[in-house]
This record gives sequence, structure tokens and C-alpha cells, in this order.
Amino acid sequence: MLTQSTDFHLPDDIEPTEIIAGITAVVPTIPEASQSITLCYYDTFDWRLYRNALVLTGQHNEYSLRELDTAVTIAQEICQTPPVFADDFPAGALRERVAPILGVRALLEMACAEVTRTTYPLLNEDEKTVARLVVEEIRPSPDTTPLITLHLHSLRGYDQEAQTISQRLRDAGLSPGAETDIYRQIMAAAGKTPGGYTPKPPVPLTPEMRADEAAKQILRAQLKVIRSNEPYIAQDIDTEFLHDFRVAIRRTRSALTQIKGVFPADITARFKQDLATVGKMTNQLRDLDVYLLDEARYRALLPENLAADIGPLFAYLQQKRTAVLADVVAHLHGPQYRQIMADWEAFLNEPAPKNPTAPHAARPIIQVARKRIFKRYRQIVAEGREILENTEDHLLHALRIDCKKLRYLLEFFTPLFPPEEIAYLIKQLKQLQTNLGDFNDLCVQEDYLLHVADELPLADQQSRHTLMAIGGLVAILHQERLRVKAEFAQTFAAFTAPANSQLFEELFASGKRKGA
Amino acid sequence: MKTIALYSSKGGVGKTAAAVNLSYLAAQSGYKTLICDLDSQGSATYYFRIKPRLKKKAQGFSQAGRPIERSIKATDYAHLDLLPADFTHRNLDIAFLEAKQPTEQLRRILAPLSAEYDLIFLDCPPTFNILAENIFQAADMLLVPLIPTTLSVRTYVQLRAFLQQNGYDTEAVTTFFSLVDGRKKMHRELATAVYRQFDHVCKTPIPYRSQIEKMGLYRAPVSVFAPHSVAAQAYQSLWQEIQGALETRLEKQATSQN
Ligand SMILES: Nc1ncnc2c1ncn2[C@@H]1O[C@H](COP(=O)(O)OP(=O)(O)O)[C@@H](O)[C@H]1O
Ligand SMILES: [Mg+2]
Repeated sequence: MLTQSTDFHLPDDIEPTEIIAGITAVVPTIPEASQSITLCYYDTFDWRLYRNALVLTGQHNEYSLRELDTAVTIAQEICQTPPVFADDFPAGALRERVAPILGVRALLEMACAEVTRTTYPLLNEDEKTVARLVVEEIRPSPDTTPLITLHLHSLRGYDQEAQTISQRLRDAGLSPGAETDIYRQIMAAAGKTPGGYTPKPPVPLTPEMRADEAAKQILRAQLKVIRSNEPYIAQDIDTEFLHDFRVAIRRTRSALTQIKGVFPADITARFKQDLATVGKMTNQLRDLDVYLLDEARYRALLPENLAADIGPLFAYLQQKRTAVLADVVAHLHGPQYRQIMADWEAFLNEPAPKNPTAPHAARPIIQVARKRIFKRYRQIVAEGREILENTEDHLLHALRIDCKKLRYLLEFFTPLFPPEEIAYLIKQLKQLQTNLGDFNDLCVQEDYLLHVADELPLADQQSRHTLMAIGGLVAILHQERLRVKAEFAQTFAAFTAPANSQLFEELFASGKRKGA
Repeated sequence: MKTIALYSSKGGVGKTAAAVNLSYLAAQSGYKTLICDLDSQGSATYYFRIKPRLKKKAQGFSQAGRPIERSIKATDYAHLDLLPADFTHRNLDIAFLEAKQPTEQLRRILAPLSAEYDLIFLDCPPTFNILAENIFQAADMLLVPLIPTTLSVRTYVQLRAFLQQNGYDTEAVTTFFSLVDGRKKMHRELATAVYRQFDHVCKTPIPYRSQIEKMGLYRAPVSVFAPHSVAAQAYQSLWQEIQGALETRLEKQATSQN
């Protein structure tokens, strides 16, 4: 017990056999039989487990969850078929821990490797083991060169001996390092970067950067998100590939519209148009995803004796989704989409022109950012006040869209301002957005349910119970909608509280205070 | 942490052989285990290939102040450590001489190890002096090997009487038959009588086997060099009985605490 381990990574020009031969020439050993295991690591596409410092390992049908960089195992499960969603794990500690982290995302196999370990117990004159040298080979695939690590395990009460061996390894040209989690080693060997994908990639802007250059950086980051998700939509693994894809398209359009005057007007107009087309072709698929994800919630809203009667509605939506997905996939593989994206990519990769024609292209981005944000903020305040006088649904919808625009601006330009203050304002805005978003969702759902009743196949329409269940839902959603609407005034007042408006003023009304 | 003492006032009854094999099997079952060699002969230390004595210069009084944790040595086996003979011997003698409550010293010395170990086996020398009383104080289970001879049984009866008279818990005493020769009629008869007369007598006897003597040659527990031997199987089933008894005690403890 209390053994300690030191890792020695082998330089390319040294063979492990050489090292072992060198050590065993002076220290006797009887090597134990080599042991091989295949380890696979699972995570969501956006590395949710890794971001929570968790590692999910699969070995045959055994899955274990542990903490990264410590050997602390949290839970283990046997699964006969590889789990995809959190619900695929049997009820228990493992599922409980990962479910809130995974959410609706699917698990993907991020890396697999065959790990072969050979232990050399190092013996003294009594043939007592005084230290162990373990040669570990990590091979992500049969044809890759293995990553080799020597682990020197010292034994309690035999530190002196371990130190002598450690010195010999150093003399042989190996350098000791702290123990590296094998997860990190396997990821490295497989060429994967844990945490490499994020739907909100950071963009390193500086205040004095030329506005057109900054805008291109922001847009290139979005393009990366689009391209990363695109190939997975067809595979239909989970709903979030499409969702992240759509959000990146929306952000791109929003940036094009809002960061005004940095590109030639005809170019901006063309791509705004093109990307709107791309966004539109996925609208229906996303709507269906949202309804289907909410199935359990809808069922829970209904009285028990009607909950089962809503079944045909979801069966119908599921069937419809299959057809709609096929359309989207065909579109993504089609010439129009490919052309749009190729042109867009080419444009983003063009270097900024020396003498730009667009009016704001050469201005420092900080000026553009301040102006856009402040203007949008003031517009939102004015719109909100009007709604307080006269709460009309279409005004609430317009305000929701403007809030989203402000949100995107704050996120794009975060690196230009004091991080804590920006984070605070985003949090404030988020609360207003939640209220407006809930209201919008409820309106859309209510409308859709009324309209889908006509669309249902005749047999299901004749099932009076299904129609009753739909009617029941509409009524419940409507009540909910009135409640959310009633909360608007209070939420809006909180957002426009004096402290917040003062902060907006300080940070963004040009000249008042220098940005970060 | 539970402490099991392999104890007998007689030598050559199989205490060390049992301590070495049972501690190995306990560690294999996943218990974090320490075996303390209390015998200056250092047989248990020898069986694990650990050097019995520290270097000359390290000996003497200054060594006595060394914390117990730093004298512990890893064995070649997972979850199993050993406290070598010389440490306890030297430290205990001094402790007994100096202490106000001389019979509490062993328990006091072992106490800090409870965070680290689930089980401690004490391999005791044949003794009936102050060290014995320290052992009685420290042990949760007094495991006594019994050779089925009239003389051994008499000694055992005396031990029980002593414990009872001095207020020790005789429930802590467990016995098992050691060095049993199944061919001897007297062994069989005595065994039957003992089972009838006493509680906590293990069902598994350890037979007389040359494999057990060979431990000195291989310097390892029998289960390591002769895993399928009758001797290894006997220790295995004896361990299972003891494990069962331990777990019931732990459960009782837990319920009485609630
Ligand atoms: N069951 C047995 N069969 C054969 N020999 C044994 C057996 N148990 C112990 N021995 C041998 O008898 C001798 C004394 O045993 P040991 O365990 O050292 O006794 P103790 O520790 O009680 O003095 C040792 O040489 C040991 O190898
Ligand atoms: Mg002995």
C-alpha cells in the first residue's frame, strides 16, 4: 500500500527492451505475463463529461465512471448493448450522475486503444520485490506506432531501492514526469483533443483590431461550428447536431446584419439571403425535434386517463420527421448548399482589402461594438416600454428577436469588455429572454397543435380521444401562456433596473469609459 | 479495523504458518491487511522475504521513537504489508517498562493504523507474560491453534480460565485444530470432545502437510506456490470461516451502535 508511481516517457530513439535489458543486467527480475485490454472512452460530441472532469470507460460490456486525473471510481454498470443516451444505463448511481450532464446528448466513442502492460518485479538478493517496472504500450489502432510509458512503482519501505532504479532510468536518458491520466494519453495517441469542440468557440478579439478583420474572425468561428456538425445531421445521432448547426447559421446571419458597414454591401446582401435559405430548410425538422423531445412533458400535463391517447399524435410526428430528415439530408448533399458554403468559406478566407470600400471596415472593432450594442439596448428599452402600455403578442415576438440580437452581440464582443460585467449583463438579459422565449414557444405550440389535428391521418382523427387529448393540451398551454405573459412586466422591470442601465451606459455609450 | 491475534502459550503449534497464510488470503479478499511480527525469531518476516533487522547503526533507543508507519514494509502481494519483528519487539519492551498502564501499550501503538488497515494479524511469540496481556487487550479475536492432544487441550482450558478470571471477553477466543493427523484415532476422538465442549471452534482443521513446512523453502504463503494443494485449500476454507465470524461481529457492532 501507499505505493507511488513515477512515469517515464520514452523518447522515440529508445526501445523499451533496451531499457529493461539495462536495468535487469544489474537488478534481477522475473517478468510477469503481459496483459492486454481494450479501453474505449465515451463522451458527448461537445465533451460534457470531460468538462465535468469525468471519464466514462467501456471495456467489453463493463462501463465505469471515474474522476479525471484521480483514480476515484464513482460507479460501474454492465450494459449488454452499448448505451447511447443516459436512459440506456440501468437505474443506479452511474445514471444518476451522468443524466443531468448528458441531457439530450448521445454518447459517442471518442477513442479506443489496446493497452498492453508487462510488469517486471525488481528483486533484491532475497528475491523480494522492491519495486515494479511496468511497460505500458498504448495502441489506438493496430497500424499505429504505440505510445510507450514506463511506470516505476515504488513499494512502501523500499524508497531507497526505487530511487536507485529511478536514477538508472534517468542515466539511460529518460525523463521522469508526474503521472499522466491514461485517458489523456489515449486521447493524445488517438489524435483527439478533449474539449476541442464547443458550440461557442472563443474568438480572441482586441479592441484596436480592424472591424472587418474582427468580423471575419467571429464568422470563421461560426463556420467551424457549422462544418463540425454538418456531417452528423444525416447520421441522426441526437438532436443537438442540428440545433448547434442552426444556431451557428443564425449567429452568422445576425453578425452579418448587425456588424454593419464592414463588408461591401452586395456581398453582405448575398450571403444574408443565402444563409437564410440554409436556415429555413431546417426549420421544420427542428420544430419536430422539439415536440418529440417534449413528449414526456406533454404526457405529464394531461390527466392520466388521457395521457395514453396522445400516442397517435407522437407516432404521426415521428413518421413525419423521418420524411423531413430525408429532405434536409438531401439538401445538405445537394449542389445549392455546397455552393453557398464553399463561396462563404472562400470569402471568409480572403485577406482583408488594403483600402476597403465599406465605410466601417477600417475602424477599430471596439467602436463598432459599443455603438451596435448600445443602440440595440436602447431599442429594446423603448420597445419594452411600449409593450407595458399595450401588451400585444406580436410586439412581444419582435422584442424577443431583438433581445436575441443583443445577446449575440454581447457574446461576440465579450473579449473586448471586462469579463465579469459582460457575464453579469448576459445573465440579466437571459432572464428576460427566458420569459419571452417561453411565451413564444407556448404560442407556437398552441397554434401547431390546433393545426396538426387537421393533418392527422383520418383513422386517428376519428379517435375522439386523441382529439380530446390534443384539445386538453391546447387549453393547458393557453393557461400557461397567460401566466407567462403576466410575468413580462416584472421581468422587464428587472432587466431595465437603474443599475443595469447604468452599466450599459458606462460600458457602451462611447467615450464614457474605456473598454478592457 | 479488526485485530486478529494468532496466540498460544506454546511454540510450534502453527501460529506463524496460520498468520502468514490467513493474512495473505485476507489481503486477496480485498481487506487492507497488516501482519505484525511480534516474535523476535522473525519467522513471519522471513517468510515474506523481508529482512529481519535494520542495519546496525539504525538500532538502539533512538530507533524506538520512529513512528510505526515508517517501519512498515510492503510485501510482494497486493493489500498486504508487514511490520517487521524487530520494530515491535524493541518498542514494546521499552513501552512496557515506562508505561503507567503496561497492558494497554500494544493497543495504543496499533491505534493510529486504523485509518489505513481493515485487518491486523498479530503473529505472537509463545508467551504468557506481560506481552500476552497486551495481546489480549489489543485483539478483537484471539485465534488459538490447537493440536489435538490432551496436553494442548489442558493448556487451552487454563487459558480460558485465566481470561475469565481477569475479566477478558472469552467470546473473543476462537480455536482451530492445527497439525492434525487424521489417521490418529486419538486426534479424532479429542476433536469430537472439543467440538462438544467449547463454542467458537472452527470446522476446518489444518492438517499436517509437508507443503506447509516447505513455506520455509519457498518463502511464500502456501497458496502462492501450491495453490491447489490440500494445505492451501484448508487455509482457504479456514479463512472463509473467520471472515464469516468477523462480518457477523461487525454487523452486531453496527446494530448495537444504532
Ligand atoms: N500444518 C502443518 N503441517 C506441517 N508442518 C507444519 C504445519 N504447521 C506448521 N508446521 C511447521 O511446524 C513448525 C512450527 O510451525 P509455526 O507455524 O512456526 O509454529 P508457531 O508459530 O506456533 O511456533 C514450522 O517448521 C512449520 O513449517
Ligand atoms: Mg511463530
